[in-house]
Amino acid sequence: MINNFLGYLHSNVTPGEAGSLIWVTIYVLLVFAGISVGVIFMNWFERKVMAHMQVRLGPMRVGPHGLLQPVADALKLIIKEDLTPANADKIVFWFAPVCVVMTAFCTFIVVPFGRTHAITDMNIGVVFMLGVSSLGVLGVIMAGWASNSHYPLMGSLRSGAQMVSYEIAMSMAVVSAVMMTSMATGTGTLSMIGVVQAQMQQHTWFVFSFFPVGLIALAVFVIAMVAETNRAPFDLPEAESELVAGFMTEYSGFRWSLFFLAEYTSMMAVSSMAVTLWLGGWLRPFPNLLGGRNWDLAFSLVPGLAFLALAALCLFTYTKMPRLKSMRSAALGLGAFASVLGVVGIVMLLPGVRDRVQDIFWFALKVGFFMYLYVWARTTFPRYRFDQLMKIGWKVLLPISIGLVVLTALIGVRQELFALVWR
Amino acid sequence: MKFIEGLKKIFLIDLFKGLFVTFRHQDPNDLVTEQYPLERPEISDRYRGQPRLVKDENGKMLCTACGACALACPDKLIKVGSMRDPETKKKVLTEFDYDMGRCMFCGLCEEACNTGSLKLSRDYEIALYSRDGLELDRKQLEDGTSRKVYDK
Repeated sequence: MINNFLGYLHSNVTPGEAGSLIWVTIYVLLVFAGISVGVIFMNWFERKVMAHMQVRLGPMRVGPHGLLQPVADALKLIIKEDLTPANADKIVFWFAPVCVVMTAFCTFIVVPFGRTHAITDMNIGVVFMLGVSSLGVLGVIMAGWASNSHYPLMGSLRSGAQMVSYEIAMSMAVVSAVMMTSMATGTGTLSMIGVVQAQMQQHTWFVFSFFPVGLIALAVFVIAMVAETNRAPFDLPEAESELVAGFMTEYSGFRWSLFFLAEYTSMMAVSSMAVTLWLGGWLRPFPNLLGGRNWDLAFSLVPGLAFLALAALCLFTYTKMPRLKSMRSAALGLGAFASVLGVVGIVMLLPGVRDRVQDIFWFALKVGFFMYLYVWARTTFPRYRFDQLMKIGWKVLLPISIGLVVLTALIGVRQELFALVWR
Repeated sequence: MKFIEGLKKIFLIDLFKGLFVTFRHQDPNDLVTEQYPLERPEISDRYRGQPRLVKDENGKMLCTACGACALACPDKLIKVGSMRDPETKKKVLTEFDYDMGRCMFCGLCEEACNTGSLKLSRDYEIALYSRDGLELDRKQLEDGTSRKVYDK
């Protein structure tokens, strides 16, 4: 039993493939905890980056540089009164946030954080992700309908229309990436792990294969994914200047925070999909070009060193903090945070750990880039009008993405085509 | 020309320009926020804040109770009380009331003062919970109303 339990650590498959129920449970809990921590961090990060882009400071008072602000906010939300409108459909009203959160987290079943770090490897992983992530809109429509109020209903109607217009373009872009997986082996795959392995075998990330095609496909996917997760500049369902807060208007307290959690989780889900399909998933930079033992060692040291550098940065800020009585607890907190980061960094330098953990680090780094892109776009672009949104979806993205599929197919079989012509 | 415009539209040049602008402004040196209680703004010398009665370097009251400030005040909010010293036969200041609640900080009293005793100082933290504290008596004008410092 125990040997069976520990034996998994030496195997090179995901817990789902190994069929170990205990490890699957552990992985589910780990992923859930990790994503939740990511959401908490994202809350702080978004406010901070947005503030700096708008030449402000952002949260500064709760903890060092406002690091504890999300915790304080979460506490506030839990304490807040949980209201249900008198004429609301109680059951649907209750179920809507649950539905949204469930679908958002379910997508992470197939997301590969590393070769062994996925809950399971489905042979239809990509389709599963697309399907489950677009189920989230059902929860949004339920929330709008059950609230029995004007603004939420308008918000959810918009959300539904938006989903329909961007789903197809997104799927077509995904199809073009999936077609590329068949280039080296002749058999394509829909498995998320398979897609990354195909990029490894073809010695290139899919952004760069058939040069502009992959890049355009990624661009189409990124625009569609921003629309899909209802984020600015496509945040029409929750446009506060027009619809108060859209489908979330009647929600308060913990239920509202569930919507918040779901929004950021689905942002991470679609980002990790983009990373897996186009940016080489968990692969480190140049896995083939800079191969060999020395390069492997060098790159596996990067995560630990990155954490140590962060710790050093925190310590440096700690020494520069003003020596005030009111700042003492914040300074102590920053020092403690720095030491925690340092310990994590040292643990990640250990030989056994660093080989297993570095995949997660590279994956998280790439996803983090997309999250930054979300925030960046949010501060830069004003919201689109509804007809403009529809126009971009149906008249621009859809033709481009269908063209991409055709183009990928044509380039993929170019040798056969030439053979046909010159015969 | 139209061709170039079209190319700009296709490659989303305007959007990337906007992204570049927001990216550039992340520079921490760009910040305009002042963390007020920790960082205090530098106040100009010409700022007209809370009125004060200034003493000379020996600690002698400069005010001669001439009443010019009370005359100059458009709102008639200064009350100068004086009595004649029986020995020196000079006017001596007994009380000085200044109703800051009605003051518009025009600074005419300061200009009218012959001895430079009445000054509108640079203290700007004069907010209160009720109007009662705004009527300053002589002691408050000499010592200044001390700001309450809250410690955690």
